[in-house]
Amino acid sequence: MSEHTHKTKPADDPSFRLPASLGNLAIPLAIGGAVLLVVGVLIGLMAGPGEGIGPQRFTMSAYLVAFTYCFSISLGCLFFVLIQHLCRAGWSVVVRRVAEILMLAIPALAILFLPILFASWSSQGVLYAWGYEGYAESHGVPGEIWTEKVRYLSSDWFTVRSIVYLVLLSGLAVYYFKLSRRQDETGEVTLTERMQARSGPAVMVFSLVTTFAAFDWLMSLAPMWFSTMFGVYIFAGSILAAHCAIAMVTYLLQAKGAIREEVTVEHYHDLGKFMFGFVTFWTYISFSQFLLIWYGNIPEETHWFYTRLQGPWESISYGLIFFHWLFPFLGLLSRHVRRRPTLVFAWAIYLLLMHFIDIYWIVMPEVGPSLGGAGGVLATLLLTSGMIGLYAGGILWYTRVNQVRVLAVRDPRLPESLAFENI
Amino acid sequence: MSLAIPQGLDNTVERPGERAPLVLGDSTYHTITESVSQIAERPPSAAWLIGFLISATLASWFGICIAYLIYTGVGVWGNMNPVFWGWPIVNFVFWVGIGHAGTLISAILYLFRQDWRTSINRAAEAMTIFAVICAGTFPGIHVGRAWLAFWLAPYPSLNLWMWPQFRSPLLWDVFAVSTYGTVSLLFWYMGMIPDLATFRDRSRNKWRRMAYGILALGWSGSSRHWMRYEKAYALLAALAAPLVLSVHTIVSFDFAVSQVPGWHTTIFPPYFVAGAIFSGFAMVLTLMIPARSIFSLEKLITVRHLENMCKIILATGTIVGLAYGTEFFIAWYGQVAEEKFAFINRALGPYWWAYWTMITCNVISPQLFWIKANRTIPWRIVVISIFVNIGMWFERFVIVITSLSRDYLPSAWGYFRPTWVDWSMLVGSFGLFFTLFLLFCRFMPVINMAEVKATLAGQLHHHHGDH
Amino acid sequence: MTDKQDKKLHGTYAEFDAVDTLLAACARVRDAGYTKTDAFTPFPVHGIDKALGIKPTRLPWIALICGATGTCIAVAMQVWMNTINYPYIISGKPFFSMPAFIPVSFELTILLASFGAFFGMLVLNGLPKFSNPIFTDPRFDRATDDKFFLYIDAADDRYDRAGVTKFLEELGGGYTQDVYDDDSSTSSPKAIWVVLGSVIFLSMIPLLLVARMRVTTSSQPRFHVFFDMDFSPAKDAQMTSSLFADGRAMRTDVPGTVAIGQFDEDLDFYTGIDFDALTRREPVRAAHLVRAIADEESDDAETAATDESIETADEPTDAAAEPEAAEPEVTGAPEVEDDTPWLEKNPLPITMAVLERGRMQFDIYCATCHGNNGRGAGLVHRRAQRILAGAWVQPSSLHQDTLYADVYPDGKMFSTISNGIRKMAGYSSQINARDRWAVVAYVRALQASQNATLDDLPVDKRDEIRKLQAEVKQRLEEQAEAERLKAEQAAAEKAEAEAEAEAEAANGEAQAAESSD
Repeated sequence: MSEHTHKTKPADDPSFRLPASLGNLAIPLAIGGAVLLVVGVLIGLMAGPGEGIGPQRFTMSAYLVAFTYCFSISLGCLFFVLIQHLCRAGWSVVVRRVAEILMLAIPALAILFLPILFASWSSQGVLYAWGYEGYAESHGVPGEIWTEKVRYLSSDWFTVRSIVYLVLLSGLAVYYFKLSRRQDETGEVTLTERMQARSGPAVMVFSLVTTFAAFDWLMSLAPMWFSTMFGVYIFAGSILAAHCAIAMVTYLLQAKGAIREEVTVEHYHDLGKFMFGFVTFWTYISFSQFLLIWYGNIPEETHWFYTRLQGPWESISYGLIFFHWLFPFLGLLSRHVRRRPTLVFAWAIYLLLMHFIDIYWIVMPEVGPSLGGAGGVLATLLLTSGMIGLYAGGILWYTRVNQVRVLAVRDPRLPESLAFENI
Repeated sequence: MSLAIPQGLDNTVERPGERAPLVLGDSTYHTITESVSQIAERPPSAAWLIGFLISATLASWFGICIAYLIYTGVGVWGNMNPVFWGWPIVNFVFWVGIGHAGTLISAILYLFRQDWRTSINRAAEAMTIFAVICAGTFPGIHVGRAWLAFWLAPYPSLNLWMWPQFRSPLLWDVFAVSTYGTVSLLFWYMGMIPDLATFRDRSRNKWRRMAYGILALGWSGSSRHWMRYEKAYALLAALAAPLVLSVHTIVSFDFAVSQVPGWHTTIFPPYFVAGAIFSGFAMVLTLMIPARSIFSLEKLITVRHLENMCKIILATGTIVGLAYGTEFFIAWYGQVAEEKFAFINRALGPYWWAYWTMITCNVISPQLFWIKANRTIPWRIVVISIFVNIGMWFERFVIVITSLSRDYLPSAWGYFRPTWVDWSMLVGSFGLFFTLFLLFCRFMPVINMAEVKATLAGQLHHHHGDH
Repeated sequence: MTDKQDKKLHGTYAEFDAVDTLLAACARVRDAGYTKTDAFTPFPVHGIDKALGIKPTRLPWIALICGATGTCIAVAMQVWMNTINYPYIISGKPFFSMPAFIPVSFELTILLASFGAFFGMLVLNGLPKFSNPIFTDPRFDRATDDKFFLYIDAADDRYDRAGVTKFLEELGGGYTQDVYDDDSSTSSPKAIWVVLGSVIFLSMIPLLLVARMRVTTSSQPRFHVFFDMDFSPAKDAQMTSSLFADGRAMRTDVPGTVAIGQFDEDLDFYTGIDFDALTRREPVRAAHLVRAIADEESDDAETAATDESIETADEPTDAAAEPEAAEPEVTGAPEVEDDTPWLEKNPLPITMAVLERGRMQFDIYCATCHGNNGRGAGLVHRRAQRILAGAWVQPSSLHQDTLYADVYPDGKMFSTISNGIRKMAGYSSQINARDRWAVVAYVRALQASQNATLDDLPVDKRDEIRKLQAEVKQRLEEQAEAERLKAEQAAAEKAEAEAEAEAEAANGEAQAAESSD
């Protein structure tokens, strides 16, 4: 039977390395990204909407969108790696290294988090409105409530917490990456066992950090709003984006000549199924969150959605229903689509775009009722593409310099993954 | 030969790269047929008879209580202002939750290609259906005039000249639970068709052969039939997976769309689903471990199966714990006075005992599953899973009773006390559940023989091919 | 084998022990060109579809179509029932609430798609099929246990019995068998039909009874299974109850109950009396009044009858609150001097909003009797006249000299509204104090309006009123003219008709005379 026809190639086969054509893009992408980022910031500061700190606030929020977008992909990839170990998954070994490389961007992104941290110290409320000293008075929040709120939403605390989140996530990412790479050289089975044994507590740490990071970094943009589901919502978007990114990167690697025989249509089929599943999961979570708040109709909560149903945000809100759910849902419904790598690749790119819209829709309405005019939109796009350029360039650069293989060549479950077939 | 089937029954160690066997001993296709069929073919054992007698008595008592309730009115319950949703709704949510493991095992684990589901899915699906029957009873009699419960159906009434309100979450519940019951029944029955055919073909008695023959619908095992059957099974699994999530989500909507403090929180849908899976698996373990030893099924329901279920309990229990924590945190973070009070009242108010029972059983006791011995020694698993069942009943108690007994109007505050009818119905519903389950064990194939044989075939094939 | 020859041959099968040999055999059979083949296995064998050349099924499409039908039915049903046919406000949600319609739409989608998958599978597989010639051989029973069977149908073009048997044996089939028509009785045992029939019949009985009951009428009183549900023990107002010592079903407020906002204002505001003046002039009466007001809530019949102090306190209250009880036009008794120091001035600031509020309350509560213009000809009065109600006294016109502010202070009017007068009941329980003052203000405005001249109006409005007056006058004139014309025409018509009738009568007489000839 077909399961035994796959023979593993030697571990130093060139097709397990990053193709040169991609590696050469690293420096241009990173430099181009940095330039775009700077240009985006400048345009945002000059052409951003509003008076006083308005343009600063707009630019910082756009920066947060860009940061969150890249960060959420890596975060989702970290979860992907952890859950594969937790479930002792066999099918995913051939694509797990791609996720591992993507998740390794977390420590690097921690540096790009610094501007957000600085912004949180502003007493003007640049980025986080709770930092503004006069917030309670200007928004009619009773004093006793506000005193309690700023116990949590204070810049000192925020800084401490953010550092804890980033250190924990970076620690997990680096630990799992290091062990997995060591296995490339030594092939120790005990490494897999160790990673499996620690994946349980690691997932617990991950879910706590994700929940609270989502509350701190995104939910607190609207200081008085709260939703217990918010962490799950952010997680749903991240894990979807991660599967899309894995499918997209794997396809690109194959297109450039790497891991051609190892990743088969069966793996794309599975990634496609997961993309379909997580599109549904995202819809389930976001619809439940909306329905409960809409039905309960309590002013403390509804204002978040109310803001997003005004002006241009309204069309984006409705757009999310159709383009983040209905369209990809119908598109990925068929097995025939999921078994065509090119189509899976196309849908992955599409969904990554929608993930950006989702993050944009979470962050930007808190800045103001408009999209920020042509200058604002341009600044947002430049910032995001700059950040993506930096992100992709950095990842490629690291992979090329450190000669990271794009396949976990000595994973004990690799034969199972190579032989994998969908029923 | 790298994948040896050990002679013992310990298959809990799995070295990466080698899959541990799921069918143990020197099992062949025929021994699988034998060990499952003999349960239904031999005369009932004394243990079965005693168990059946006890549970049938309790089930009859349940029936008597229902008749008494319908004749007298819902006042025989402890439901009283302000706790209008007393134990009936607690029991309803509890049983619906129990009913989640079956379809989860059949559908979601199927989609995730978890082969170990094959030994336990049949019994778990049966439990799903029986739990849904128990669950459906409670809102049915809670409506007061139970004989008019058909008014919930959107039928063109010549008397009422009105339609049900689809904007009410209680009607969503009717649709969700009845759809879930129907689809689970289809799923269960469809899965049984090949095994019923096995029973039919083994019958030497004419009547028995006829009865199983009718149930098996003339199944012949044709490959064309199998192909469509497997497709239908995969489709039903793909449909049942979101369905099973939707059911407890909608049950959580019953609470969460309202404005009652402690109920209106957005985490409810995923948290209820996790809790349902948690309690469902605990109930499966509670019943499967005794059944496995009574019917000598240790080679098919192996320790590995039990261990995997324990791990799922651990995972979902931890999710539930995280949800409790998040709720508490947001109650403080949100700074809404009523919400804050509701949560402090849960932990420190008059029902503190229920709250801490819940925390102990649901969050702390599953943590014992971190230790391997607790996941592999059957009696310990039973003890812990019974704790989980108790804890999950108390979770619903805490949600329903503490929030209602302390609503927005302090002058309406009260303390809920159950009556003997409440107690009888809780115990009686267990009687009904066990009665149905014991009948199922006696007359139906308790293990999905066809799928276990397929698992064995895969195992043999691997074993064979590695030479 | 002779008996088998006159029966129809369906095909031949061979038995295999293992999956691998079966799969190899299937591939060989397929490669040999057989198309009408099948394998019978106890469990689904991976890879057999390819080995036998089985085409994929259409089942997913069936499920998809059924699911989409479910969605459409659910959405259409909910929109029809809750938005169009029976719009009813619930939870403050719009009639068309898509978010609230989603759960049920989802459930019905799943339900119908599941039906599609399950029943589609049965239909495509031709199940249920209780009679199958292949089951004739008892050895075939192991197809659901541990053996694998490969079958070649006789309808296959390449089928030839001896050749096929040999071929199957070559492939490793340990046991081969031909399938002939099953000659055992195809009729089902009678017992099944008897049981089935009686179950159906018995289950119909309650339904038939219900159906019969629904279409027949009976002179017998209805049988009440749940008596207390049909006849609720809840009490109506003024009913007796054995539950309480005083025998009354209605309960009074607990002594000392204070309604929200009851003491937001001072006593003057709630009574219309200037208490400072009253205390100066008649301290005893003032003290009684205060006590009476404080005890008003606990003032039920029993305590009032036994408690001397309250009874004595009641007297001045009545005198103060209803001084009009002795008004001449009703009793004819000599006028008692009303020396109560009524508030002269409305305590509310007179703004447009207060007057609008007063008008609203007046139109709701007062106008039914007093008429919208306050002339005492409201709807109730007109109805009373039409039905010739003998005991009816016409409500007072509010436009009498005796009711103007100079002789009838605002406070007194307030008290009248609150406590009633003659046949008019008190309105303090329906209209709150603030609104009663607003009504007083509005009545003053009404009175002013009935005696106003153009000079009372703001300058910029005068022209408008003049125009209106002219219009009304003209319209009245036109109406009068029309009336007159109509009357004239009617008179003319009547005359004409009379003349005609006369002529006809004469004509008729003439005819009668003719026919009688």
